[in-house]
Parts: sequence; C-alpha cells; structure tokens
Amino acid sequence: MRLELRDVRYVYAPGTPFEVEALRGVSLVVEPGEVLGIVGGTGSGKSTLVQHMNLLLTPTGGEVLVDGVDATTLKKSELRRRVGLVFQFPESALFAPTVEEDVAFAPRQLGLDEEEVQERVLESLRALEAGELAARSPFALSGGEKRRAAIAGVLAMKPEVLVLDEPTAGLDPATREDLLALILGLRNAGISVVLVSHDLDEVAEVADRVCALQEGRVRAIGTPAEVFYREPAQAPATVRVASLLRESKPEIGAPVRFAETLDALRALQGA
Amino acid sequence: MTSRSLGQFYPVASPVHDLDPRAKILATAVFVVGLFLIDSTVGLLFVAAALVALVTMSRIPAGTFLLLLRPVLFIVALTVLFQVLFSREGVTLAEWGFFEIRSGGLSLGFFLALRILLLVSSAGLLTATTAPVALADGIEDLLSPLKRVRFPAHEVAMMMTIALRFIPTLGKEAEKIKGAQAARGADFSEGGPLRRARSLVPLLVPLTVGAFRRADELAEAMESRGYRGGEGRTRYRELRFRKRDALALAVTALVLLVGILL
Amino acid sequence: MEHPGEGTRNGGSFVVSCESVSFSYPGSGRPALSDVSFELRPGEYVGVVGPNGGGKSTLVRLLNGLLKPDSGRVLVSGRDPATEPFEVRKHLGILFQDPENGLVAPFVEDDVAFGLENLGVPRKEMRDRVAGAIRAVGLEGFERREPDTLSGGEKQRVALAGLLAVEPDILVLDEPTSMLDAAGRREVLAYLETLRAEKTVLHVTHHLEELVRSDRILVLNGGELVADKTPERFLSDADLLRENRLVLPVVQRLALEIGLSPARLRTPETLAEAILAKTESGTRAG
Repeated sequence: MRLELRDVRYVYAPGTPFEVEALRGVSLVVEPGEVLGIVGGTGSGKSTLVQHMNLLLTPTGGEVLVDGVDATTLKKSELRRRVGLVFQFPESALFAPTVEEDVAFAPRQLGLDEEEVQERVLESLRALEAGELAARSPFALSGGEKRRAAIAGVLAMKPEVLVLDEPTAGLDPATREDLLALILGLRNAGISVVLVSHDLDEVAEVADRVCALQEGRVRAIGTPAEVFYREPAQAPATVRVASLLRESKPEIGAPVRFAETLDALRALQGA
Repeated sequence: MTSRSLGQFYPVASPVHDLDPRAKILATAVFVVGLFLIDSTVGLLFVAAALVALVTMSRIPAGTFLLLLRPVLFIVALTVLFQVLFSREGVTLAEWGFFEIRSGGLSLGFFLALRILLLVSSAGLLTATTAPVALADGIEDLLSPLKRVRFPAHEVAMMMTIALRFIPTLGKEAEKIKGAQAARGADFSEGGPLRRARSLVPLLVPLTVGAFRRADELAEAMESRGYRGGEGRTRYRELRFRKRDALALAVTALVLLVGILL
Repeated sequence: MEHPGEGTRNGGSFVVSCESVSFSYPGSGRPALSDVSFELRPGEYVGVVGPNGGGKSTLVRLLNGLLKPDSGRVLVSGRDPATEPFEVRKHLGILFQDPENGLVAPFVEDDVAFGLENLGVPRKEMRDRVAGAIRAVGLEGFERREPDTLSGGEKQRVALAGLLAVEPDILVLDEPTSMLDAAGRREVLAYLETLRAEKTVLHVTHHLEELVRSDRILVLNGGELVADKTPERFLSDADLLRENRLVLPVVQRLALEIGLSPARLRTPETLAEAILAKTESGTRAG
C-alpha cells in the first residue's frame, strides 16, 4: 500500500485564544515495504503528523491518500486496520488480564472468528519474540516486554503500514537495539514502517528514507545520506564523524550506518 | 494542547485576581446562598448586572468567560424546555397538538436558567481569578479552626492541591489512551448503553492503573522531599486580608440584599 | 584507583557508606540486593549502571529510608536513614526518573518551595532560596507556569530546582534522563554538569556517555555489586559491558572498534581528530 499525505495542515483549537498551527503543509509518501524515518525536535509536529496517517486527526487542510484514494472516503475501521498506529509509550494502553487477551482486542473488534483471532495473536506475539508472555499479566512485565506486547496488539490487525511513534523511548540501550532488530524484521516481512524518532542514531541504522520535520514543515526528505549530509551538525554520530573527516579525506564517501562507517574508517586507516 | 475547561485559572493581573482567596471564597458562598433567596427575575437581573461588572473588572475576555459556561448550556436548555413544555400556568401563547406554550412556563424557565447561569458564573469567576494553590491555601485557612476538633484541614487542602495539579495530566493521558484504543478499532460511541459501558473498559482500566502508578511515584517523591504532614510546616504563599477584601465582601452582601428586596 | 581533582576532596571521611547491605521485597524469593558495600567520598561523582532488575532502584531507595535494609547498614553523613529518614533527607536529595509524577504543586515556584515548606523554613528566607534555585536551573520567568505546560526537560529542571533549594550535600540521580528526548537530555545534563564540583553525586543511568567524566562506575547485576572501576578501564572492557547488557554510544563504539581509547574520545570532533592524527602519522611512517 502507498500512503500519501498531500499538503496536510492542522490547527489545534481553531478560533480560540489557544489556537496553534501544528502542521503547515506537509507532503510525503510512504512507499510499500520501506522504513521511512521521521525526525524532528520537540514541537516539529511529529506526533500530530502520525495521527493523520490513520485519520485519528482530520486534517484542517490538504488530503491523505491510500493507493491514490482519498482516505476520508474509506471506512474508518478499514483505514485503521490497514494503517496500524502505535502511540508513544503504548504500554500505557494495556488493559486486559493477560497479554494474549490484550493482543486479541483489535482482531476481535474486526469481528474475526475466534480461530483466526487466536492465530493472529500467536503470530504477532511471535513476530515480536513475545510468545512466552502470552499467559502473563501485562502489568507484571518489564518495560521492554510491555512495549513488545503493546506493539503486538496493533500488529494483530495485520496492518499494511505500521506507524511507530518513538517506539524506543524510555528503554535502555540494549533493549532498544533488540526492538530495532524486530522492527527491521517486520519490514523484511513486507510491512511498511514509519519510524518516528528523536534519536538520529537509531534512524540512521534502520531507515530506507528519512523525512526531517521542523516547525510543522518538511525541511528535507530523501535517502539518509541525502538528508543527513545536508546538515551534518544535526546528523547521527556516524555522519558527524565522517563529514568532519571528509574535508581532508574525501575518499571516505558518505557512510550512514554503523557498519558502513566502520568499514570506511578501517579503509582510511589501512590506506 | 489541552482545551481550557470550566473553572480553569486565567492568569492575568486584575483587582479581582488580587483579592485574598478567603475573601473570594466567602463572597462566592454568600453569593450562592443569596441567589436562592432571590425570588424575582428583576432581582436576578440586578445581580447579573453586578456580576457582569465584576467579570469586566477581572480582565477575563468576555469570549473566554462565555466559553466557561458552554458545558452547562445543555442543562440550561433542558431546564427551559422542561418548564416551557410542562408548565400549566399563565396564558397560552402557542399550541401544537399536545404541546402548548404558556407564559408562566416561559418566565419560570427564564428565571431558572438565569439562576443556573449565575451560579456557575460565580463559581467560574472564583476559580478563573484564583490560582489553584491560593484556593487550596484559602480553604485550608478557612477550615483551620476545625483543626481543634481534629478536622484534617491541611490534608484536605493538600489533597485539593494535588488533584488540581494532576487533573490536566490525567486528562491528557485519557486522550492518549482513547486514541491508542481507537487505533486498535475501539469505538466509544457505537451501540446501546450496555455496549457503550463495556467499551469503556479498555479506557478506564489503563487510566486507573496509570493513576495508581503516578500516586505511588508521587508519594515517594513527596516523602523524599521531606514531607511529613502539616506539623511544623511553613507556607510559601502568604495570605493577607486587607481593607479591600473586607470591602469586596461587604459589597457582595449588599448587592445580594438589594436583589432579594427587589 | 585514580581520583582526578583530588584537591577538592578531603579523603578519609565518607559521606555515604553501605556496609554489607541486603534487601528482599516481601513475597519475592530472590534478594533485590545482596551484601552490597561501597563508600562515597565528599565531592565524588560516581555512576551506577546495570541491567533492569539489577538492584539500582532498590539501592536508591535504601539511601534515604524509603526502604530499610534486611541486614547491613547504610550511613549518610553519619546518620542511618532507616532510623532517621527525615534528617537524612535534608542532606540527600533524589532526582527521579519521571518528573511528571514528582511535581506536587500546580505552579513552578510553589513546587520548588515544597521541600522548604516541609522543613519549616521561614517565608522570607524561602523566597530567596526558591528564586536562587530557579536561577540555578535557568528557569527565570517560569515561576508562574503550570508544570503541565512545560517540556520534559523543563519539568526535570523544575524537579532539580526543588532539590537544590533544600541545599543537600548529596544528590542521587535515578535515571533522570531516561524519559526525555535528545534535546531534553542535553539540557538536563548541562545543568547537572554545573553541580559536579559542589555536590557528592551518585548517578544511576543506562547511558554510558553520561558517565565518561565520573570518578568511578559501579555495576549492579542480579543484586550484587559486580564491578567498581574508573571509566577508562570500564569503557574498554567489552566483556563486562556485554555481560551487563550495556551498549556504548556510537562514537565510543567506533573508537573501540578501530583501536582507540573510548573514554577519551567523547565527541565526534575528538574522534575525527584522533583518526586524522593516526592516519597522518601512519602515512609519514610509511
């Protein structure tokens, strides 16, 4: 599925003294099967933007297109199934007595028969390496386990696009790396992933393309190298190191991922 | 962005904001009691005019103040409708089948609507012009004579302060959980009352769990910062009852007295 | 063990000491801490790391008497928090993980005053100390703001101001940046940095880059103190890092992988310089 936002604008509390323009005309495309990283600081509009992808918020202006069709013409439940949205700190919405029951919530809302529901629960828990958590209470899990259970709860709708708002926030670095590996696994299984993150290092590791937001506008969009090397001062650590070396050692190229950068540095030292 | 709700503090500088919270609490109490003693529409209109003057003095924009009243408009409309449709007093003004509109219903509806609006406005003016902490301090102080009969005045005020502090936080959290469950296909508006009540479970359970977690962490933080109840505690905010506070109280009483007599 | 900046410390006397401290949560079979001993000297900056469930939070709560040890003893400025928690809390302040849940009052200045109110400080003195603490965290002009309208970093700075107002000698930082985004982390760390010379600090974190300038790093795993090392030795010990689920930040990991010292090279700039210096000398030698 190809998800497109065309000149999307959004104003909070219009017509009141507390009016805020959060999005000022954002256009972007989530291509099938890619990981699109969305980066930007506080107040850039990231969290507002993602809520437009399944129309939890209705744009004040512009449109959202699903395979070229205006998303407002689709049934809301259908749209929310196809575009799975995982909020920041999603574990705060866990509610059922067991993980299994919680993950079953979304497929049951879809009206699937019980056999299909169980199948999807197992499948999505397995995809997040959380199969052994099925019978446990979601409230008795560690931070990383809760996070995986909550993502499984959205994955169980079999979305075509999975939108993750700061999925690693508050996790320790080792748990974060594990989760990023799982997210890459989902992409490899054919799901498009939108990864919203303030952590440039993690976006550098997993994104196929990057969109940088600033004050409700798209500042840059393209491959990680295109976006990050344009403004190396606001780039992942790998890009910052490489771009500092580039002035005197242009042969280093434009590495972004850790492994690429390490290879480039080794080549430089070997030469 | 949280929407401003009924009774939220509106931080501007004004003579009304500047009054001692105890004076404002007492004046509001006098006002509310007085309202129920006024039995004429003219009396209510007179009091309403005085309240409009006070709101103007408070420098809260009229639009914002009217926004405060929005949540009760439904109740007001219902009251008027009820009176208009079911009152059997006065002369008939119009008639459709079973329904007739009589002058008595119309005027009683107006009277009651005005009373509700005044009631809510006065409470709204109190909370809009008094910082929540000052409000809690004022209440603690007014209740403190009851400490002698072991009434936990400090604890009540602390509970209020904390409630005021966490209302916006929990409101945001509720919004977020609602969004998260909607993303999983929950619909909070569909079906009969039973189904709707059941659909609230995925909202209320996490909200409650979250509130308990917050309460735990808050208790730890408070203890770690040396909190041990009201004993031996000093207060950062100073309450000073000045001449103008006494004057404000007297004027309030006078206005209501005139209203009652009219 | 090296202690840079020895001049500021009068070694010998300890401000915090744990002597064979053990603790189990009721109903849990496994001890949360077993036989943990260490000391903090005045003015030291000591990091605490280790996997979740390793005992870090438990340790923090034993230090100010929120929890009491089953055996062993904690001493803070010569007092036992298990028996004199209120005395200890005047000397030792804790900055918790989630500032959202630690702010008590609906306004910034009232919250900063909370600890002073508890101590019964007279109002006039309170005003000065609150203003001073707000200045120390760079939040002048925020006095009448509601916590709910602040960013995560600003909330954590309010919480810090609330601790500083009480003027404790010891600060315990319990993962104070883990709920913040990159900008919020930088902002809070910048203000914590200014306290380095004045206070004794125990800093619990998962982010090793926050500890590169510390005097020592303690590792808690499975309730036991498994290491107590300088950052130089600790950051180069790949096995120790792996066993305790610790991940070096990108710059340090790159440095380690190409054979440079991770503790000295904290920023992309210093790493790039070191690489240039190395390749240059390499070319000359060749």
